[in-house]
Amino acid sequence: MTKSRFFYYILLAAAFSCKEKASQNTPPSTVSNNDSPRVTTTIRYAHGFTIDYHDNYKLVHVLDRQGDRTDTLEYLLVQKGHPTPAGHPNAQVIPIPISSFIAMSSMHVGMADFLEIADRITGLGSFQYINAPLVRANIAAGKTKQVGLDGNLNNELLISMHPGLIMGMSNPQATTAKYKILMDAGIPVILNAEWLESTPLGRAEWVKLMAALVNKEDLVNKKFDSMVRSYDSLVQLASQAKEHPHVIIGLPFKGSWFIPAGDSYMAHFIRDAGGGYKWGDTKGVGSLALNFEAVAPEALTADFWLNIGYVDSKQDITAKDPRFASFKSFRTGQLYNNNKKTNDIGSNDYWESGAVNPQILLADMISILHPELLPGHTSVYYKQLQ
Amino acid sequence: MMQLPTPQGKRLNIKLAALCLLLLVAFFLDIALGPVRIPLRSICRIILSLPGEDSTWQYIVMQIRIPKTFTAVIAGCGLSVSGLQMQTLFRNPLAEPSVLGVTAGASLGVAAVMLAGGSITTLYTIRELGLSGSWLITIAGCTGAAGVMLLVILISKAVRDNIMMLIIGVMVGTVTLSIISIWQYFSDPELIKDYLMWTFGSLGGVTGAQLYILGLATLVGLVISFLSSKMLDALLLGENYARSMGVTTQRARVIIICSTSLLAGSITAFCGPIGFIGIAVPQMARSVFATSNHRVLIPACCLIGTTLMLLCDVIGQLPGSQAALPINIVTALVGAPTVIWMILRKNNLSIFG
Repeated sequence: MTKSRFFYYILLAAAFSCKEKASQNTPPSTVSNNDSPRVTTTIRYAHGFTIDYHDNYKLVHVLDRQGDRTDTLEYLLVQKGHPTPAGHPNAQVIPIPISSFIAMSSMHVGMADFLEIADRITGLGSFQYINAPLVRANIAAGKTKQVGLDGNLNNELLISMHPGLIMGMSNPQATTAKYKILMDAGIPVILNAEWLESTPLGRAEWVKLMAALVNKEDLVNKKFDSMVRSYDSLVQLASQAKEHPHVIIGLPFKGSWFIPAGDSYMAHFIRDAGGGYKWGDTKGVGSLALNFEAVAPEALTADFWLNIGYVDSKQDITAKDPRFASFKSFRTGQLYNNNKKTNDIGSNDYWESGAVNPQILLADMISILHPELLPGHTSVYYKQLQ
Repeated sequence: MMQLPTPQGKRLNIKLAALCLLLLVAFFLDIALGPVRIPLRSICRIILSLPGEDSTWQYIVMQIRIPKTFTAVIAGCGLSVSGLQMQTLFRNPLAEPSVLGVTAGASLGVAAVMLAGGSITTLYTIRELGLSGSWLITIAGCTGAAGVMLLVILISKAVRDNIMMLIIGVMVGTVTLSIISIWQYFSDPELIKDYLMWTFGSLGGVTGAQLYILGLATLVGLVISFLSSKMLDALLLGENYARSMGVTTQRARVIIICSTSLLAGSITAFCGPIGFIGIAVPQMARSVFATSNHRVLIPACCLIGTTLMLLCDVIGQLPGSQAALPINIVTALVGAPTVIWMILRKNNLSIFG
């Protein structure tokens, strides 16, 4: 016990060191071409993009998956003041380091905060899902503008803002065609697909793409490596668990229950946290559309119910459907939702800073499933529903 | 008329009895089949509440399959009878419950709640107000349906001709749907997905008190429609004829619109839009019974509609698989070929039986 407690303190220190650094409101650093010109970073966990380093430019490939089709999009990140290299006719050219950009997803805000460049966000798709205090202050001061989401981008506002980059989200609603007018106007657009990554570290690693855009490889290597170390040691810790309590995820809606498939982000988390998952062997990185009845036998006996959805109390759950009260997790009170860091405007930090703090998410999950392994840990993102 | 010991009456009774038998088979099939395999013996024991059965199976049968089956019965009766009323009122075999815009109204109410996230208020603030869960969607659906229904009734008082009424109903529905489209256009993809899920229709989300309320609303609608069957018979022969028989067409129209709205509106609010049953079943009823007498057609629609809905649900469960097809898809997939087959067989599609 004492051994594991000691281990816990080391872990905790490691787990939170990144977070604290990230939340310090560092003054806007002066953008220079020489932030970290010679430092490179390598991609180990993410499958959706690659970075190749050359003299004065970086070549980025983003795999844009639309359904079954996969397109490779090419980007040339050219250091400002240097000529565009020849031989890449289809590549979009992005002069770096970028000094301002538009973020379309709350994950991008979390990443920018992680890299201490949140003040470079000059526009957001929507103000509704924002947590970072610096970004909210900029919104309040009118320095950050709302540019509209996929369907109704405010093209005229965007063009007049001259952003260094628009970081969009790759999804069926946001094909590059929607950004054509902006690209023609000379504004580079990257469609990130971090949410398609199936591992927690893979999703977090997209922060390296943002780092490459601002020449902060040095910083990202340090912070990301420490994140990976604490994540890996937490996985080690959880592997000591003898029992694997069963977990169910999500909330059925009108008789259908979308269950994360065996290779999905959530399934990886459950496995890494030492939980049992009935659908762990299923194929696929997305979710399975199952019948309520097909899930019911597992739901009735599973020990824990996590990431429950838009609910905040046991009463909310029974209001959705009184039948859920029969679940074992409901009767024993083992209901944990990932909405502890929901702020006054209803925005959940799980989707923002959570994306770049997988080690804290994992620590939360281990402390829920195996409280004896992390005694004294207070959940950051998860809360028990009463 | 049904009890007359004529050969016709006898044939009618045989047909009704056969349909009842088919209905019972479909009813038990729907309870017996599902993604989780439960032996028939256990199912019977659970239904008779005999002790000693597996508690998971008990939960599945009593809490999941039986409410779903009863919802199918209610939706099957209500949608097919309201479809029959619309076809008679407008003397048009293509009319269905949605022509009055009532289902569109229910959809608008639901869209207002689900998609409002982007513009007026968030699900978060709705929760803060203390309205949560499935009731919110249902109440919104009912409010939307009732709002459009009131509008249509007000218009119907000013309009003399039923065909004009039909056009106005379709127009009101179109306007309502385009309001929803505007809303969708400005909403987040995740919210649109939730709304899309709702539009697929579902029989599995109605439980407990909701089932009783839906059952009661449908029962009231069916009673009104059965009581007005004489009026419907008269309307079928034309408004002038109806008037000569002492039927006040305007009052008849209001009564029929009320009962249709109650039936279609409440079913759409609870189950989501379920298409095709409303068009297909009245055709089948007329074709099977070869009559235009509403005192026969209304019970016939109830029987056929219920059987078809139950069978569609069985098919939608894809026995042997873990997934399920949304009911709205199955009704169209099953319903359309059935109607085509019936037309080809009889080479006739008429509202006069």
